Amino acid sequence: MRVVLLGVAVAVQFGLCLSQLVGQEYRARWVAVVAFVALAVVSAACAGWVSRRTEPPVWVVAGGTVVVLAAAFAATALAGPAGPVPDWSFGLVGWHLLVLLLDRVGPLLVAFGWHVAVSVVWFPVAGSPDRERIAEAGTVALGTLSVQLAVALIARMLHRRTAQAMAVAAERDRLATRVLAVEQAERGQRDVFAGQLGTTLPLLADLADGVLDPRGEPARRRCALAATQLRRLFAENDEVPDPLVHEVSACLDVAERRGVDVSLAVSGAAVAVPAPVRRELTAPVAVTLSHARTRARVSVLRTATEVRVAVVSDAVAGPQVAWAAHGVEVESGTYGEYQRTEARWSPPS
Amino acid sequence: MVTAVVIDDHPAIQAGVAHWLSCGDPPIQVCAAGTDVRAAWLGPGATADVVILDLHLGGPAPALGELRRLVRAGRRVVVYSMRADDDIALRCLELGALSYLTKAEGAEHLLEATVTAAAGQPYTPPALAGALAGDRSAHRPVLSARETEVLVEWFQSESKDYVARRLGISLSTVNTHLEHIRVKYAMRGREAPTKAALVARAIQDGLVELDDL
Repeated sequence: MRVVLLGVAVAVQFGLCLSQLVGQEYRARWVAVVAFVALAVVSAACAGWVSRRTEPPVWVVAGGTVVVLAAAFAATALAGPAGPVPDWSFGLVGWHLLVLLLDRVGPLLVAFGWHVAVSVVWFPVAGSPDRERIAEAGTVALGTLSVQLAVALIARMLHRRTAQAMAVAAERDRLATRVLAVEQAERGQRDVFAGQLGTTLPLLADLADGVLDPRGEPARRRCALAATQLRRLFAENDEVPDPLVHEVSACLDVAERRGVDVSLAVSGAAVAVPAPVRRELTAPVAVTLSHARTRARVSVLRTATEVRVAVVSDAVAGPQVAWAAHGVEVESGTYGEYQRTEARWSPPS
Repeated sequence: MVTAVVIDDHPAIQAGVAHWLSCGDPPIQVCAAGTDVRAAWLGPGATADVVILDLHLGGPAPALGELRRLVRAGRRVVVYSMRADDDIALRCLELGALSYLTKAEGAEHLLEATVTAAAGQPYTPPALAGALAGDRSAHRPVLSARETEVLVEWFQSESKDYVARRLGISLSTVNTHLEHIRVKYAMRGREAPTKAALVARAIQDGLVELDDL
C-alpha cells in the first residue's frame, strides 16, 4: 500500500506539480523551489524503508511530517502565487502525509486538519477571492481531500482485515499443532503402556496362535514373568510411603504363589526414587524370579550413596543380563549353584 | 554343654527356640524361659551362658533398658526381635549385644548366633549385615571397600559360601572380615564388658593393632 502511495506522491510531484512550479508566477520562487526539494527529499527518505516493506522509524515520521507541513505552508503562504489560487502543494502534501502516517490514524487526521485549516485561513488572506475562485478552490480541495481520505480509510480496513486473517490463520495453526501433539502423546502413552506390559502381549499372541505349548516349561516361565510384570505394573500407581519396596514385594508375590521360597530383606531408610528408575530397578527382579526354582532371596539396600536391588536364587540357566538405563546398572552372574542379578542406582546428590 | 535362657512374651516362641537349640550340633540346653527379663536374673537362668532376648516384651517400646542392664552385668545377649529395624539393631550393637536376629531369620542363624555368643564372639546375620551396610550415622566406623562388599553380599545372599565364591576368597576370610567389622563397631560408643572382651580378643588374634584404638 505504501509503495503505491509513494509512487502516487512521486508521480503527482514530478508529473503534475513540477510543471505548475515552473509555469506559475511566484512572489519568491526560491522558497517554492526549496519547498519542492524538501518534499522530494522526504519521499526519497521514505523510499528506503518503504522498499524494504518496513515502517519508517518514529523520528523519520515525525520529522517528515513537520517538514512536509512546513513546506506546504512555505509554498502556499510565503512564496504562493500572486492572488488566491489553489497551489500545487495543496494536494501533493496530502499524499506525502499519507505515506508517512498511513498506520497512525490520529496523527494523520490532525496533520490533515492542520493542513486544511492553514490553507483555508490563508486563502482569503492572500487576496480577496471572488466567488469563482472560491468555488474552484473548494472543488480542488474537496476532490483531493476526499480521494486521500478514502485511500486512508481503505488502507485502514485492509490493515484490519489482514490482521484478522492472520489471527485466524495463527489460531488454526495452533489448533493443528495441538492436535498433532495430543496424537503424538497418545501414541507415546500407548507405546509406554505396551512397553510396560512387557512380555504379556507377545506371550498372549503366541498362545493364541498356538505357537506356544501352554504345558511346556518355557511357556510356564514366560507366563510367570508376564504375571510378575503385570503385578508390578499394578503396584506402580499405589500410594505408599515406600514405592520401591512396595513394587519389589509385588514381584515376590507371583513367585511365592508359584511355590518358590522367597525372602525379602530391606535395609536402610527409604529414599525418593523416580518411577522410571524404579521400573529399571525392579525389572531384573521380575526376570530373575521367573527363573528361580525353589529358593530366592531378594534384597533392597539403601546406603548413603546408592540403592541396590539384588536377587540371589537357585535359577538354572538363568538370564545373563547386563545393561544400563536411566542411570541404573544391571549385572548378573552365576556363582556355583547361585544365580545373582543386581541393579544399582546412585541418586543424584 | 552350652546353656541359654529364652525371654519372650510368646510361649510358642519360647518352645520353638528351645526345640531348635536342642536340635543343634552340639545341642544347646535351654535351662530357663520366661515372659519377662526376671528369668535371666533369678533361678537357673541367672547362670545361663547366653541370654536370648526378645526386644518387644508386650509393650511398644523396645526393652533397651533391660538389654543395657544385662550387658553391664557381663551377660552375653543375643537379641531376637520381630522387627527388622536398622536403627534398633545398631542401638543394640552399641549397647553391647553380641548379635541381633530378626525372627524371619531361620534356625541356623539362631543356632550359630547362640554358639558364637557362648564363646563371647559376635555373630552378624544377614539382616544385621544390611543394617551395618546401610548405616548412615555420622559416627559410624570407616569400613574398607572389601569389608563393605562382604557385608552387602552377605546381606543379599544369606550364604557365606556364595560370598566366598563371588569375591574369590575363602570362607574363613569372609568370617574374618565380618568379625573385623564388628570389632570396629565395638570400638565406638558406650563401654560394655562384652565389647571390651571382643576388642581384647581381636588384639590378641592380631586382627587389630593397639594403635587402632
